[in-house]
Amino acid sequence: MRRFGALLAALLLAGTLAACGGQEAREMQTTQIFAMDTVMALRAAGGETEAALQAAEEEIYRLDEELSRTREDSAVSRLNSAPAGTAADVGTELYDLIARALDFSAATDGAFDITLAPVSSAWGFTEDAYRVPAQTELDALLAHVGAEHVHLEGEGSVSLDAGTRIDLGAIAKGYASDRMAEIFQSHGVTHGIVDLGGNTWVCGGNLEGEPWQIGIQDPARESGALAGILQATDAFAVTSGGYQRYFEEDGVTYHHIIDPATGRPAESGLTSVTVVADGTVGNGTMCDALSTALFVMGEERALDLWRSGVYDFDLVLVTADGRLLVTDGIADRFQPDETAGYAYEVVS
Amino acid sequence: MRMKSSPKLRPNIWDGLLAAVMLALAVAGGVLLWTGGGETGDLIAVVSVDGAETERVSLAGLTAPEERTYTHNGYTLHVTFTAESAQVTASDCPTQDCVHTGAITRGGQSIVCLPARLVIQLEGGAADDGSPDLVIG
Repeated sequence: MRRFGALLAALLLAGTLAACGGQEAREMQTTQIFAMDTVMALRAAGGETEAALQAAEEEIYRLDEELSRTREDSAVSRLNSAPAGTAADVGTELYDLIARALDFSAATDGAFDITLAPVSSAWGFTEDAYRVPAQTELDALLAHVGAEHVHLEGEGSVSLDAGTRIDLGAIAKGYASDRMAEIFQSHGVTHGIVDLGGNTWVCGGNLEGEPWQIGIQDPARESGALAGILQATDAFAVTSGGYQRYFEEDGVTYHHIIDPATGRPAESGLTSVTVVADGTVGNGTMCDALSTALFVMGEERALDLWRSGVYDFDLVLVTADGRLLVTDGIADRFQPDETAGYAYEVVS
Repeated sequence: MRMKSSPKLRPNIWDGLLAAVMLALAVAGGVLLWTGGGETGDLIAVVSVDGAETERVSLAGLTAPEERTYTHNGYTLHVTFTAESAQVTASDCPTQDCVHTGAITRGGQSIVCLPARLVIQLEGGAADDGSPDLVIG
């Protein structure tokens, strides 16, 4: 009888261990959110996990309402609908984000541009109604494109020149990833992945104490086929590529990353740009802005900006001529996928 | 007065058997903890709508391709499941991103249709197929 009791106790102990350790200590809690024109996945463990995910979800929805160009009641829409040349009070948060966007425009010689909205709409990328606009139509719209048409009036007020509209789609998810990092950190989350439709922040590594494995999509192959894998424990990473959103007309493919200089889809010789930076809050916004800008700028100008040290980041570039370039700051944490067939180069 | 006899202190075969059972339970528990208790196994397609799981399709149980239709938010997707893959073969959504994604075959991969607010994600599969924790791009 005593032996039977001991066996029962052992079974109960094993069951308890499997239930607690196997569920609580090992499992990440997840949330899936549709917002900002993408699907987002948040994973977290440690600290006040549930409260962190709840706060993060609420913050995503708040930012979606404030920063959307297509919502009539958003702060961005209020600015876009204000009379030309009239200072509109957009609040401190949007004011600061626009100020940062203008800084990125200056640092990238206009390759990053938040005033491309009318041009993107002409291509139908904002409204999901794709078309190829005539060059005359694009030229007319480009007259209102450029950072010089956005004026910071101070104290939370911004004005736009006539015909100019802003769209923060190339920076808003990066800013949101910064806010997610702040929320996770304030709730003591020890292991986390924030994936905002390609804008990623990871912290703490996985529950086995190993770095997170971030796969970088191969732009030339089917979804899930990789160009390589980056290991990271505390980092932001953002990828931009023409393969992400596009349409075909008369046998020609048109993608969604518009070159502000031409008003047409960028043809820079790059098929994918991934910008990586450490997990310091603020770097998410930078990675998002730069991934778009460097895709437009092309290999040589992208590497020039990287070497300049103006911003602290690293790069994974895939070129149309079949090369995979990785800057030396992350080369020891990057494993190229040999099945992709790219010529692999470490850049210094 | 007769004294109560003391229990035998020498271990017998039942004690050995009990020790073996407890050792086996400890090892099994350790293995369960180490592997995450069920993260591997048959490939399952998890269908979510508006962020809420609505259906789980066990791909391993399919002996022939199976087509299912999902309608949400005004759009209809035709999805083909096989023993190894899931693929949106047709959709009336304006972006066609879900169709462009093609077939997904490994745990962790997903197909997203934003207009329909529908996600198909694969779970399970090989224990260590080199899959990353997430894919960006």
